Formats: sequence, structure tokens, C-alpha cells
Amino acid sequence: MQEVERYKLSTRVLHWIVAASFLVLAITGLFLFAPWFSAAAWWGWSGVAHRVAAAIFVLVPVLFVLFGNWSRSMGFVKEAFAWGKDDVEWFKAAPDYYFGGDPSRMPPQGHINTGQKLYWLTVLVASAILLATGVIMWFFKGIVTAEVIQWSIFLHSLAFIGLGVFFLVHFQLSALHPRMPESLGSMIWGKVSAKYAQSHHGKWYDRTSADQEAQEA
Amino acid sequence: MAKAILYDATKCVACRGCQVVCKQWNELKAEFTENRGSYENPKDLSPETWIKMEFREIPRNGSVAWLFTRRACMHCTDAGCVTACPTGAVYHHDLGFVAYDKGKCTGCGYCVDFCPFEVPQLDGSRVTGLGRIDKCTFCTTHGLDRIGNGLEPACVKTCPPGALIYGDRGELVAEGNKRVAALGGNATLYGENELDGLHVLYVLTDSPETYGLPKDPKVSAAATAWKDIIQPLGWAAGGLVAGGLLINLIVARARQIRAEEEK
Repeated sequence: MQEVERYKLSTRVLHWIVAASFLVLAITGLFLFAPWFSAAAWWGWSGVAHRVAAAIFVLVPVLFVLFGNWSRSMGFVKEAFAWGKDDVEWFKAAPDYYFGGDPSRMPPQGHINTGQKLYWLTVLVASAILLATGVIMWFFKGIVTAEVIQWSIFLHSLAFIGLGVFFLVHFQLSALHPRMPESLGSMIWGKVSAKYAQSHHGKWYDRTSADQEAQEA
Repeated sequence: MAKAILYDATKCVACRGCQVVCKQWNELKAEFTENRGSYENPKDLSPETWIKMEFREIPRNGSVAWLFTRRACMHCTDAGCVTACPTGAVYHHDLGFVAYDKGKCTGCGYCVDFCPFEVPQLDGSRVTGLGRIDKCTFCTTHGLDRIGNGLEPACVKTCPPGALIYGDRGELVAEGNKRVAALGGNATLYGENELDGLHVLYVLTDSPETYGLPKDPKVSAAATAWKDIIQPLGWAAGGLVAGGLLINLIVARARQIRAEEEK
């Protein structure tokens, strides 16, 4: 069976490091949302775990950008901001499609589809808010006014709700959903079948296969 | 029936007996002190210092007025720490004041961040985030509970000039107002209505600001927003999405299977 490379090894490693640190951050953060969980906070050791995971969550992507391929990294960032007409069509067709409806109405998608793009954008924006407010809460107590700290706590929580809820969607669509059978595997092994690439990421498939032909010619 | 402490600044001689007995009763360690040009010591409240006397020299009528105040938890009715505490570790005691359960404390420090009087302290490191709340417990610390055993708080018990009185809050408000009327001038009773009523009332000879107290303390809107918006919103959003996803998974799987069977 013909396969297409979807994620390079470094991308996959980055994804799973970020995913693991995100899970630690989310769970240790949730202890603050759930009074009945407070025993699980381990006399505050959850706070230490939160800080360690935060450092990994922030530093690993930064190192990836600094020491990796700059144009590739910027390409990832640009993906989040490239929106067009097909995205509107996707939003119209997606609810039916993801509830098992007719796939033919779905517009052809790029390397990541509209939903993934929206999630990726949320990850970038929410992470920026979480990072800024988190740094304030961690290092700037007593330096900035109480009000700044107080609203940082508010924003930190708000950004987490947005990201956390969207993460649940991301998890289901990539790991559990019958319409996305090769999604999880692609982030583990890096490859998808050509058939899957064509049906799920048509625009990207056409572009990569055209590139390949050009290279071979 | 709400209880309270009435502190009368005009009777206080700043002997700091309350500071000492607080450490003694609550088994708090002594701290190294340092001469900062005043009798005031240590520098501020800490996990080991829950009450501290403050000395102020204020120019008044061509002379200097030496003003004393008590700095400790004010035991607010509308308490920023109680509102902000995510785990319910900081709570209102049946008698109105603010107690806490260190066992439930995760050390998030929101009580510190949301206190209008900057009273609660964390007995730990700001870098690791390890630590737990400490502040005046109104002598209700588990195992050292004076109030529950029918005693008055240690600071009140020890106060030689009787500047501290413990009793029913209503009676103490009346007592404080009587005292303020007798003093006349700029004298005020602090704590009657501030933050819906403090459980530590101050008879002051001058405006609260003169004594370093906020004139109109308020609990930050961010605290209320966190408790009333963020926490419920978080659970509602998480619950709705999780429920929606479950339905989606069931429907999508069922239709997929049907589609495969029809092939």
C-alpha cells in the first residue's frame, strides 16, 4: 500500500512531549477547580509538578524553533493563520460529516483541516495567554500590583477552559473517531495511506504528489 | 451569634504582649528581629507571626502623635480569601470569623493574592510553590482551640490595659460606637460595615488611612469572577462538550457500522 509521510520524527517527538506536559498541567491545574480533588494535590506537590511541566511545555517548543529548521517552524505557525473560502464550506459540512453523514460535501482540505487549524490556532493563542499570565503569577508576585496578579489568575483559568475543552474535541477526533482512523497512527508512525491522504487532506495530497513528480522528473 | 474582637487603639500601650502570647499559644517560632529605627518587629506578618503591632509617628498640632495599631487578620464577612480559595480550605467559622484547614490547602496562594489587607502568608517557597496558608485562626487551630473550649483568644486574654475585648459582635459594635462618641474629634470605629462587617473592630482616633488601613476595602472583582464565573463555566463547558462528544461518538459509530453493512 502506498504511503505518504505526514509528520517528521522531530515533529512527532515535539507533539508527544508537549502533549504529555499539557496533560500534567491540565490535571494538576484541575485540582484547583475541584474542591473534592484537593487531597490529590499532595500538599502542594501538584503545584511543583505544574511548574516543572510548564517549563517543559514552554522550553521544548522554543528549543525546537531555535535549533530546528526555521522556515519549517514558521510554516507550522503560518498554517494556523491561513484561512479561506474552503474553511467556511468545511464548517457547513462538518457537523453532518462528523456525525457519520455524507463525506462528499466536505471541501478538500490542506495539510491540516479547518477543525485542526482552529485547534492549532487555539493552542497558540491560549498558550501565549497561559504563558504570560503564568509567568506573572509565578515570578512577579510582590513586583506587580495585586490587581495584575488577580486578573492573571482569572485569564489563566479562562484560557485553560478554552484550551481544555478544545483538547477533549482534539482527543476524540484524532484518537477515537471512526471517521479519522489514521489520525492517531500518523502522529505515532508519521505516515498515512495515500488513500487516506487523498480523502482527508486532498489539497495537501495533490500538492505533495505534484512536488514529488516534479522532483522525480 | 457572631463573635468579634474589639481593639481600642486609645487604650493600647503597644507592649506587644499579644504578639508574644500569640506565638506561645499557637506554638509559633520566634523570628530574628532587627532594629529599623522603631519598636516595630519583625518586619511584617509571616507564617510564624500572625499578629504584629505597628507604630506610627504622625505630625499633629505641631507635635508628633504616636499611633499604635494591631496588624492581623480582620476576619471579614465578605472575605477575599474565602471567595478565592478554590478548595474550600479557607472558610467561615460558625461564629463568623475566617478559619482554615491546612490539610485541604494546596498552596496556590490565591488567599494571599486576594486579601485586601495582605494578611495571609504562605509557609513556603514562591519558586516551587510549595507551602500552605498561615494566618490568625482566631485561636481555633485544631488541638489549640480556645474558642471551642469557652476561652477567649490568647491576645485578648493577655492584653494588660484591656485594649482588646472579646465578645458578641453586636455588643462590641455598640461598645465601640459608644467609645468613639466619647472620644469625639476624628475618632472612628473601623470594621462595622467594611466588607459587610469585620470580626475585628478598631476604635481609632483618626481616619483609617492614618493608621495604614484601607478606607474602603473591597474584594477584587476578579475573585468573585473566578468563583462565580470561571469555576461554574469551566464545569459547564467541560461537561457539555464531554457529553456532546459522547453522543457524537455513539452516533458516528452506529452510522458507520450501518453504512458498512449496507455495502
